[in-house]
Amino acid sequence: MAAVVHILNQFFAGIGGEDKANLPVGVLGGAAGAARGLAAELRERATVVATIYFGDNYFHEHKDDAKEAIVREVAKTHPDVVVVGPAFNAGRYGLAAAEICQTIAERLGLPCVTGMEPENPGAGFYREYRNEKVFLLPTGESAAAMGRALATMAAFACRLAAGSVIGPADREGYLPRGIRRLERGERSGVERAIDMLLVKAAGRPFVTELAMEVWDKVAPAAPLKTTAEAKLALISTSGVVPWGNPDRFKTYRNTHWRKYSFAELKSLEAGKWEAVHGGYNVAEMNQNPHYGVPLDALRALEAEGKIGRGKLYPAYYMIPGNQGSPSVMRRVGQEIAADLRKEGVDGVLLVAT
Amino acid sequence: MALISAMYPVAEQIGASRIVKAVAIPHPCGDPSLPADMDRALRREIVTTALRALETEVESTTLFAPKMAVSS
Repeated sequence: MAAVVHILNQFFAGIGGEDKANLPVGVLGGAAGAARGLAAELRERATVVATIYFGDNYFHEHKDDAKEAIVREVAKTHPDVVVVGPAFNAGRYGLAAAEICQTIAERLGLPCVTGMEPENPGAGFYREYRNEKVFLLPTGESAAAMGRALATMAAFACRLAAGSVIGPADREGYLPRGIRRLERGERSGVERAIDMLLVKAAGRPFVTELAMEVWDKVAPAAPLKTTAEAKLALISTSGVVPWGNPDRFKTYRNTHWRKYSFAELKSLEAGKWEAVHGGYNVAEMNQNPHYGVPLDALRALEAEGKIGRGKLYPAYYMIPGNQGSPSVMRRVGQEIAADLRKEGVDGVLLVAT
Repeated sequence: MALISAMYPVAEQIGASRIVKAVAIPHPCGDPSLPADMDRALRREIVTTALRALETEVESTTLFAPKMAVSS
């Protein structure tokens, strides 16, 4: 019989409400609280060997300690699968559930299933983690949906424990993680594409095989009164970095950004900089790095007073922009934005190749 | 933020707010086929356009074109 560990917050473990939200990680032998409901759904297929709980606040205030303790306790019980939640629309709980699943899958290599309402912020983290071993099943908004949630999670957990192959999200019912797998189809892509086109042309409904990314809508920032008095910074995705590529950027799919100082420079000299980028021919950029980092123009405008003296931020931000995945780029954008804010920058020029 | 890009249709499609039309993907800020002084002047015009974009109130995706001919 398969062994399941169930991880719950203090409330659903039956320990107590908000007054117990500071409780550290603890273990109850067998099934306790909501885990009893899970055990009932698992029936003779699997047994809940331990219920692990954490205080909702404790987890977020002592995240590293909490995750360490949970990993340690899970490892002791040698389960086949770990179930976390369901968290419904509870934000703290949902975020914790997503992080716990990620940590357990990463550190112990165990499959995890969690459940929450798809709008729970934890679902966003789950999508970003994109962990092959973690599955998030959509639930209703509140504990009123507990019975149904536990039934679905129990069935899914049993399949994971048995090592069953889990198919794509739209067939299996978990929230999509954006993982694409190759699979052999009966008919070639050309045939499928033409079929889809004919169906589309006839105005009949069709299902795409590759849904396009949905972009965030960002309201435009207010304009600057005058750029002459604003602190300005330059970002570039051109791949122009100091010669030798000291931060080892790759020509594609970079996941980190860096700043390079041009504080003392009036221009960028060919041969001292190089473009690291696999998405365009970098020959001309190497000849004249100003095509991606227009420092000569910025200095000329500074001399004329269109940019205030000393108002140009003394380093430019760089990440070569080739094949960046939207979730990584979103994170990089947030990090750069936070740094710009910390440095008191008012306006930004972003050169994209 | 002003986005200087030769792929401005993509920038418009994803809803960037202030977009400046650049020269070409491998050389957004300038044109290597021009004499060096013209190339520098073109680059300056593109950056000036970006500054103008930062000073302009916009309500949605807006494309700013440099006043100098941008060709590639």
